[in-house]
Amino acid sequence: MALGADVRAILELGGSNEGVGPITKKDLLCDKKKSKKLVETPTFKRPEGMHREVYALLYTRDAPPLLPSDSTRGYRTAKARLGCRRVRPWHWVPFTNPARSDGALLHHWRRVCDENQPYPFARFNKTVDIPSYSEHEYQTLLQNESWSRAETDYLWDLCRQFDLRWIVIHDRYDTRRFGKRSLEDLKERYYMVSAKLARARGPGGERGPLSVPFDADHERRRKEQLERLFSRTPEQVTEEENLLTELRRIEARRRERERATADLHKLMTAADGAAGNAAGLRVSVGSAGSAGGVGSGQAGGGSGERRTAKKKVPQRREHGDRGGVPETTGIRFPDFKAAGVMLRSQRMRLPSSVGQKKVKVIEQVLTELGIDLIPMPTETIVTQFNELRSDLLLLYELRQAHATVEYDRHALQLRRDSLAAHMHPPPAETGAQTSTADEAASNYGVLPDGGSAEGSSASRKRREQPNVFTCPAAVKKKKI
Amino acid sequence: MYKSRMAEFGPDSGGRVKGVTVVKAVVYGNVSRYFGKKREEDGHTHQWTVYVKPFHNEDMSTYVKKIQFKLHESYGNPLRVVTKPPYEITETGWGEFEIIIKIFFIDPNERPVTVYHLLKLFHNEPNIMLGKKVLVSEFYDEMIFQDPTAMMQQLLTTSRQLTLGPHKHETDFGDLEARTIERLESARRKIGTEIAVLKEKLRASRESVQKHKEEIRRLELQDGRE
Repeated sequence: MALGADVRAILELGGSNEGVGPITKKDLLCDKKKSKKLVETPTFKRPEGMHREVYALLYTRDAPPLLPSDSTRGYRTAKARLGCRRVRPWHWVPFTNPARSDGALLHHWRRVCDENQPYPFARFNKTVDIPSYSEHEYQTLLQNESWSRAETDYLWDLCRQFDLRWIVIHDRYDTRRFGKRSLEDLKERYYMVSAKLARARGPGGERGPLSVPFDADHERRRKEQLERLFSRTPEQVTEEENLLTELRRIEARRRERERATADLHKLMTAADGAAGNAAGLRVSVGSAGSAGGVGSGQAGGGSGERRTAKKKVPQRREHGDRGGVPETTGIRFPDFKAAGVMLRSQRMRLPSSVGQKKVKVIEQVLTELGIDLIPMPTETIVTQFNELRSDLLLLYELRQAHATVEYDRHALQLRRDSLAAHMHPPPAETGAQTSTADEAASNYGVLPDGGSAEGSSASRKRREQPNVFTCPAAVKKKKI
Repeated sequence: MYKSRMAEFGPDSGGRVKGVTVVKAVVYGNVSRYFGKKREEDGHTHQWTVYVKPFHNEDMSTYVKKIQFKLHESYGNPLRVVTKPPYEITETGWGEFEIIIKIFFIDPNERPVTVYHLLKLFHNEPNIMLGKKVLVSEFYDEMIFQDPTAMMQQLLTTSRQLTLGPHKHETDFGDLEARTIERLESARRKIGTEIAVLKEKLRASRESVQKHKEEIRRLELQDGRE
């Protein structure tokens, strides 16, 4: 056991082989005591007539486990058993550091077994290869107006001494003897000289740390920029941020406005298409009604007629498309082209793209018009019903768009009026202005029923009709 | 009979006849009658019959294999199957519930069609309440066979008359259709005019917005000059 081994180790007594040698994972994790076999003899002989299987279950060396057993080698029991080995002694010894040139003798603690090995940290002492130049090379290649031979030599000394640690070199530079030089100046001189040397010696010559291109001007500009960025006042920083957010807001508003006009345009063309459909309603309904009525479903003879009726439907759709009905306004019912059986009533189901609010609106208007929410599903009725609901939705969207435009108009008008009041209104415009102002006054607020400024027939017509949609009276921009 | 038909079309009877559409109109629903009082032994109050009938006088069994009626689970054996006409189930009860009607076709390649019907027992008309009159709640629908299988097409087009006598329904669907179409047409005309009117208004306000904008720009310019 570990305890006994410890005592023996402390007393420096031999006799225990355990714990000598390097520690392995097995030593740490494995409990030696458990691995000893329990020696056990079966004490019971199989009685006559007892089944072998039963006997084996009851009396065997490795009794089958009745409970799931927990292995001692699992994570839970894996305790590292440290301190069970003999201590390796350390000694206070002198050493020399091969990285040092002065041969200073220092002392440190060291394991007895590691003695006579070189100082391990000496290998981290790296030096940079600095190319050197001869007198001839300097005269032919390296002459420079701003750098004397002495200063160049001095720079080279520093470079060697500090291994191109430029900040240190710059700090140690003898400014009294050679005047003030910037860090970039020092670097520029060094890299220029080494590049020239490398080029003159060619690829086969003495290797140098060439191919470190150094653009001193670029470096100077970069540092200047950083300097400026760093020395901004807090006011300047916040102002810049404000400007950026403002720019973003302007961009967003512009996009929003463009989207709105595009939507409005789409709606207008859709309305054109719908109006065209309504005009051509009589004819198309007449033909479809005669062919696609209830009577034509007769088995056998009916199927031919049915097919002709089918053909008419796409034609009418095409007519609508030619009117430029965009896809996003109204309701787009799916094409039921898939083979198989389906109920006609399924074709009246609103697609899921129509929102809950729109469904509510449609249902409300249908009730007001006295139409069943689920009418009798014959072909004509289904087509008519679907188109009616599509038109209803278009009307609803038009109402909303109209409210938005009216709101804009009113805001603009107020602005114009205030501007006009500020100065004299130009005489040529007065007539037009008063008329639009009239119209605005009558329209604004009481949207669907005002309209004294418009054609009398149109307004009369509108009065006859029930106000199907509850118009957003508080005129503000609403999302559907 | 079915077997021989299957053999006739061979193993590829699943192949579909493109471009053909056959429509079969059906009427489904229920009639119910009040007993006049609550029955002592089980508390039932109504007798009702749920049914699926062809709209035209024809024998649906030529193409329909069976019709399942799924009743409320409190009924014994709630899944009732009828394999030949008349496709109907008569029961007694005291409550309304949704009956799931599933129509299976002779050709197993055609998927069955499901119809939901809310069993109707109660009505506030006095005669019905007293049990003197029968309550009818029935609906019209059409089964559309798009590109039917070859076998199914033949079955669909060869059905015979069901009865020799007149075939009538409790509801006058022809009249209902005419009335619905009339209402839809008038509604569409109305909405169409409204759309046109509103569009004009929208255009006018847009133009006026444009005019206002221009004026404002000009005024601002003048303002700047002065």
